[in-house]
Amino acid sequence: MTGLEVSGLMKRFGDVQALDGLSLAAPVGQLVGFLGPNGAGKSTTMRSILGLLAVDGGSITWNGEPITAAARRNIGYMPQDRGLYQRMKVGEHIAYIGRLAGLSPSEATARAARWAARVGLEDRHDDLIQDLSTGNQQRVQLAVAMVHDPPLLILDEPFAGLDPVAVAMLSDVMTEQVEQGATVVFSSHQLDLVEDLAENLTIVANGATRATGSSAELRRRSPIRLLRVEWVGEPPAWEPPQSSRLDSRPDVSLFSVPAASDSSALMASAAAAGSFVSISYEPPPLEDVFLGIVAS
Amino acid sequence: MNERALVKQVAMREIVTRSRTKAFRIITAVLLALAVVGPIAAALWPESDDEARDVTIGLVASVDSELEELIAAIGEDIVKIEFVDTSEFSLDEIDTGLTSGDLDVVIESADRLAWKRTVDDQLATVIGLALQQQAAFELAGSLGLSEAETADLLAPIDITQRRVDAGGVDDGIRQAVAWLGLMLAFMLPQFFGQLTMLSVIEEKGSRVIEVLLSHVRPQTLLLGKVAGLSVLALGQVVVLLGGLTAALLVTDRVTIPREVWQFVPILTVSLIGGLVFYNTLFALLGSLVSRQEDASQVALPVFFPMMAGLFIGQFAAVGDSDVFAAKVLTFFPLTTPMLLPVRVARGYAAAWEVAVALALLLLGTWLLVRLAARLYNFTLLQAGSRVSWKQAATYMRK
Repeated sequence: MTGLEVSGLMKRFGDVQALDGLSLAAPVGQLVGFLGPNGAGKSTTMRSILGLLAVDGGSITWNGEPITAAARRNIGYMPQDRGLYQRMKVGEHIAYIGRLAGLSPSEATARAARWAARVGLEDRHDDLIQDLSTGNQQRVQLAVAMVHDPPLLILDEPFAGLDPVAVAMLSDVMTEQVEQGATVVFSSHQLDLVEDLAENLTIVANGATRATGSSAELRRRSPIRLLRVEWVGEPPAWEPPQSSRLDSRPDVSLFSVPAASDSSALMASAAAAGSFVSISYEPPPLEDVFLGIVAS
Repeated sequence: MNERALVKQVAMREIVTRSRTKAFRIITAVLLALAVVGPIAAALWPESDDEARDVTIGLVASVDSELEELIAAIGEDIVKIEFVDTSEFSLDEIDTGLTSGDLDVVIESADRLAWKRTVDDQLATVIGLALQQQAAFELAGSLGLSEAETADLLAPIDITQRRVDAGGVDDGIRQAVAWLGLMLAFMLPQFFGQLTMLSVIEEKGSRVIEVLLSHVRPQTLLLGKVAGLSVLALGQVVVLLGGLTAALLVTDRVTIPREVWQFVPILTVSLIGGLVFYNTLFALLGSLVSRQEDASQVALPVFFPMMAGLFIGQFAAVGDSDVFAAKVLTFFPLTTPMLLPVRVARGYAAAWEVAVALALLLLGTWLLVRLAARLYNFTLLQAGSRVSWKQAATYMRK
């Protein structure tokens, strides 16, 4: 059970090379964050996995097999551009997609009711979609993606536009699905959320994969470290070798230093320069790592 | 779930959601009300034309009084007659009676009638027959014939009518059926075709299409949509014609000729063919645009053959002979749904023509479905500006 494997995807739209050998791996039972700036190829990759776009090259497999039309119906998909039938009722809409995914009428109806309740819309089950707020419509969109309990979930910007309560609900749902054995690939620009949820990350830019690994691994692989010193009183005129000052407040100094720096030597040097309350030496946050990778 | 079940599922959604819209319900309710209320209103209207009307006839003394009985007998079902003795009237008084309308006609002598201005042909015929009979009786009497012999002589002959085309359908019925077929074939595909196009545009515009296509193939979506809206159209026709038929039967005012039913199969087949063909065509056009504002522009070319079918169909429906253009365009799938029922109803289409026209319509629809499905693959996910015809042609060749 190798899960989802996307390898060397190529796709050109006219003069634009949207995908340029992009690869992505999402083992079974893992939550994978798919990161990249706008136009990096995330949505194109997701649409290709769903068969919505024909790629010019590369391969997409699920558990080692090419994804057939029948297999695609088992994928749960939440597109970036939310889309629902405005004149359908909430329960009816969820059940309809469940039917298209192959559920029996009774099963689709039962699951629609269950998912409507799970996303907090049990009281709006018989309301028309057009009568819901944008946030609640996104909850329906999530239920639509989940109704057939798919083994693979592709969620394109699922947190965009959600309020904190809905974000918490969606995070819970995603975690639950993974605990039950599903594979989840999601994209997001909210890196703090991605860091909290995803076991593995794939960072892409210009249609190509730039880095993969857990958040901790990516941070560890960064060529820099952050050295933060909280001084007693006025900071001394001290700077570590090969460093650059990032921030300076009345009692705190923040430096960027090479990852290869000797942390013990730095601490000793700082102690010699002045008295400090605390000193920390750690990899940069994911946001900095992401920006560094994308910029390179 | 197999493809057929998926098509059915998509079709059911179209039927349920479209029939639930306020616009569809209002249109159906108004049309049904018109279909039902029309015959009922006609039934409640007094049948003045069919009833015997009141007339007043003035008689001068020189006219035999037996004439009254003859006129009354001949005009029994047509007029209720009041006779006024005008023998004492002066000519001015007679003229005044006619002018004021107190008298409809005055029989001044056995060969002269006086009217106000216009001669009432019906009344003149009744009086003329009576005068003629009276003259015949008088002549017969002078020739020595008894009244019974004269009556036998004047008795009408029981004439048997022989019709060469005894089993044929009355031309009036043929024309009525032709008009019905033409109007249904013109209006329904136009209305439901545009509904199909707007449905495709709605799915593209709202981006729900992405979720749908992650579960079903474009062709499945197309077939389901076309099937659903075609069934909905037929359902509406059944409701409207059912309401009209029920109203006619209940009011017993207009009898539906038995011959009409023989045209129901060809009307049904043509209507289904037209709906499927045009709904597919409008779906294809809908896939080329993402905004409703662009819909009318892209659909414009389709209205030309529809208008041509309607125009020529009107001539074919009322003309005295088969129209050549109608004959030719019967075999053109875009106009077959309108012209085939007209020519069949008028009795102009031979069996082979019906078979060939339907076969070509079927073939045309099949090709169109394949073409539309192919185009769907490329255009459904395209948002923004309209897909040009050149670009569409390129997609179709891929």
